[in-house]
Amino acid sequence: MSVPFLIWLIIFKYLPLWGWSIAFQDYKPAKGMFDQTWAGLKHFKFLFQDEHFVRVMRNTLAMSFINLVLGFVTAITLAILLNELRKVVFKRVVQTISYLPHFISWVVASSIIATALSADGGIINDVLMWLGIIKEPILWLGEGKYFWGILGVSEVWKNVGWNTIIYLAAMTSIDPSQYEAAEIDGAGRFQRIWNITLPGIKSVVVILLIMNIGNLLETGFEPQYLLGNGMNVDYSENLDIFVLKYGIQMGNFSLSIAAGMFKTVVSFILLFTANHIAKRLGEDRLF
Amino acid sequence: MKKRRFWLSCLTIVMLASLLSACSGGKDNGKVGSNTSAGSGNGAQEEKLDKVTFTYFNAVAGKDINTNETTIGKILEEQTGVNFKIEHLVGDENTKVGTFIASNSYPDVLVPGGSIDKLLSSGSFIPLNDLIDQYGPNIKRVYEPYYNLMKAEDGNIYFLPMSAVVGEYISAPNIEQGAFWIQRRVLKEAGYPKIKTFDDYLNLIREYVKKHPGEDLTGYIALTTQDQFFALTNPPMHLAGYPNDGGVIIDMETHEANDYADDDITKRYLQELNQLNAEGLFDKSSFVDNRDQYLAKIASGKVLGFFDYRWQVGQSMNNLREAAQQTGNDDLEYMALPIVFDENIKDQYLDPPSFVNNRGVGISVSAKDPVRIIKYFDNLLTDENQILSNWGIEGETYSVDENGRFYRTEEQINQTNAEAFRESFGFKYFEYNWPRYGNGSSLPDGNSVGAGRQPEVAQMSYSDSDKKLLEAYGIQSFSQLFAAPDVRPWYPAWSIQIEQGSPAQIFTQKKSDLQRKYFPKLVLANPAEFDKIWDEYVKEFNKLGVKDYEQLMTDEVAKKVDLVQGK
Repeated sequence: MSVPFLIWLIIFKYLPLWGWSIAFQDYKPAKGMFDQTWAGLKHFKFLFQDEHFVRVMRNTLAMSFINLVLGFVTAITLAILLNELRKVVFKRVVQTISYLPHFISWVVASSIIATALSADGGIINDVLMWLGIIKEPILWLGEGKYFWGILGVSEVWKNVGWNTIIYLAAMTSIDPSQYEAAEIDGAGRFQRIWNITLPGIKSVVVILLIMNIGNLLETGFEPQYLLGNGMNVDYSENLDIFVLKYGIQMGNFSLSIAAGMFKTVVSFILLFTANHIAKRLGEDRLF
Repeated sequence: MKKRRFWLSCLTIVMLASLLSACSGGKDNGKVGSNTSAGSGNGAQEEKLDKVTFTYFNAVAGKDINTNETTIGKILEEQTGVNFKIEHLVGDENTKVGTFIASNSYPDVLVPGGSIDKLLSSGSFIPLNDLIDQYGPNIKRVYEPYYNLMKAEDGNIYFLPMSAVVGEYISAPNIEQGAFWIQRRVLKEAGYPKIKTFDDYLNLIREYVKKHPGEDLTGYIALTTQDQFFALTNPPMHLAGYPNDGGVIIDMETHEANDYADDDITKRYLQELNQLNAEGLFDKSSFVDNRDQYLAKIASGKVLGFFDYRWQVGQSMNNLREAAQQTGNDDLEYMALPIVFDENIKDQYLDPPSFVNNRGVGISVSAKDPVRIIKYFDNLLTDENQILSNWGIEGETYSVDENGRFYRTEEQINQTNAEAFRESFGFKYFEYNWPRYGNGSSLPDGNSVGAGRQPEVAQMSYSDSDKKLLEAYGIQSFSQLFAAPDVRPWYPAWSIQIEQGSPAQIFTQKKSDLQRKYFPKLVLANPAEFDKIWDEYVKEFNKLGVKDYEQLMTDEVAKKVDLVQGK
């Protein structure tokens, strides 16, 4: 039964690992695999010795972490709120509207964000000025320190609706009789959420958390690339953009692979650590 | 259970089969019949060849189209039986080209931009030498004088550049390249003064803004997005009286290359912008806007001045022109000025006649029938077809007077300027991007190959307001305001090929990263802190290894000069 899938796994997931050897060569695309010159750890050295690297890593981790925390908190909150709704029509409308942005490509989404944040006539500046919070328009994308926040909010706007789906699904598996019993015992709405809904979806939350920690180095690339500019580069440039600039755009595929290897290894370690911690705490875990 | 296993294995087989066929497909489209008889010369007229479609990739954004859907392409198909399916770039050029290389499967014909080095180093093009010798008498006629510059180090020609000048050189009547642009209403109000220095130019803007408060005007704007950052970094070179050599200035006498990123000219330019910003005349959003926002601002008519290359802002300028034609008021249109730092500097905005040898069109290693393609190229390079692709059809898109001079009536000019017509007729696809007589070429009878450079057409295409403006400055065409270009055999230095991933290339990337970070800081800083930030920038810049880069450029310039002079 499982033989075809094993074959599939080997062909598509394990054989490509051979390509990692490119990281140790000065790879030239036109030549065959055996005509390449070997370069040892040269590309790893370039990667780790570049002074940009520390900054790039900091940005990658910081933005990932912000996305992780914000993503979880907002998605779970919205899911609970939706779960408490009694009017089915209203619930559907809110759900649809909140997950529509997920289907817009980042190219379009970042244009919308850039326009909204624009200093001449952008809605954010207009509203803040109207409220009297600021006196003159702020160049939101021109200040590095705002970038992580802007990115976090953008990610939430784009993905919150989508992320709630799995929690809502988990909530439907909670036995309604528990709610009835709690109600008879005199539990209020918040107590029911705290004591029944949240424990009910705990296993899903833990599993997702473990998986997402494994993806900490994958901040995504498009929003940072499209919203980034010279003024916020200290905060917006992440590992993927660095690799694009110094690897792919220069035809230096070896460097790109070296960075990819580094990411995979770190992700691997993070995933196992998180899983191990979950095991120690006696929680559900990935494996 | 047994039954189930049977069906599962059936399913597996089907899936594997479909996977395999998906991988091997795609190779055979377009191969509708390529049974050409090789060696029968370029006799497209003598023999009726089967119709064939080749694929063609152009690394700029545009509308994908079959050449035979355009009038010009249809005529060319009748001559040669060849149709090209043109694919344009979506997204980033380097990424797209990277995919071609990684998969080792290319369209038949490639017109890359900056990624051409990458394609060359991956051996993506076939050498054309023998093909040209055998099937390309016209290609030989047009390109032979430039063979020295076209040959790669191994002596092969891998692509045909589009800048081979044929016949006597005709300079452009309008500004097609870089200049400082200013809105015509500013000049009008000041009584059409002759402006030469950067200070005069900026003062003109200052005064206009002062006189028109409350109109929400933007004094000066710049374009700084990803690939267009050079629009901000190039002006110091022009202001100092040099043509666009890219990141370096080449000394006229010693031919030594100097990276001016840390020079006084750059400092002076940025300091002026900094001052402008302190006065509230510089559009701060310049550093965060994307290209669309920038173009929209210029098209809005609120911007008084900026530096850029005509081909970058063409879209906005055309919009303003169309609006001006409707209202009869050209106040919001722009005029190009040859601005320099000091009175005694001679401006060099106009490109010297040059041969750009790092852009061109080549045939890929995946091409199914290079002979048919090279014959098509050769056929394009007849005088008749160059007239067809630049002027169109006599009586329809151009006329000829009794002296044999080509001209266009006003109606024809309007028609051939309209974007939709240019697409359907095919000018948009055939004026450029194919082997061609380069800009400034002329026909044996003295007519210009490019319609835009024919004085009759240029005169005719000037609106009444254009003529008034020209008259006010006492010139016949806009480029007459600019100094004639000096001879620079290496020009343009930006076309010098730098090896992929070499220290020099890493230097240019690092320089660009650094400038992207510091230039906004310098311009937007409090004027009192300008010097401090500048020193910091120069310190950082000197860490990057500029000396090696300059040495490399100096050597390459010397090589190119030798090649051009036939040494």
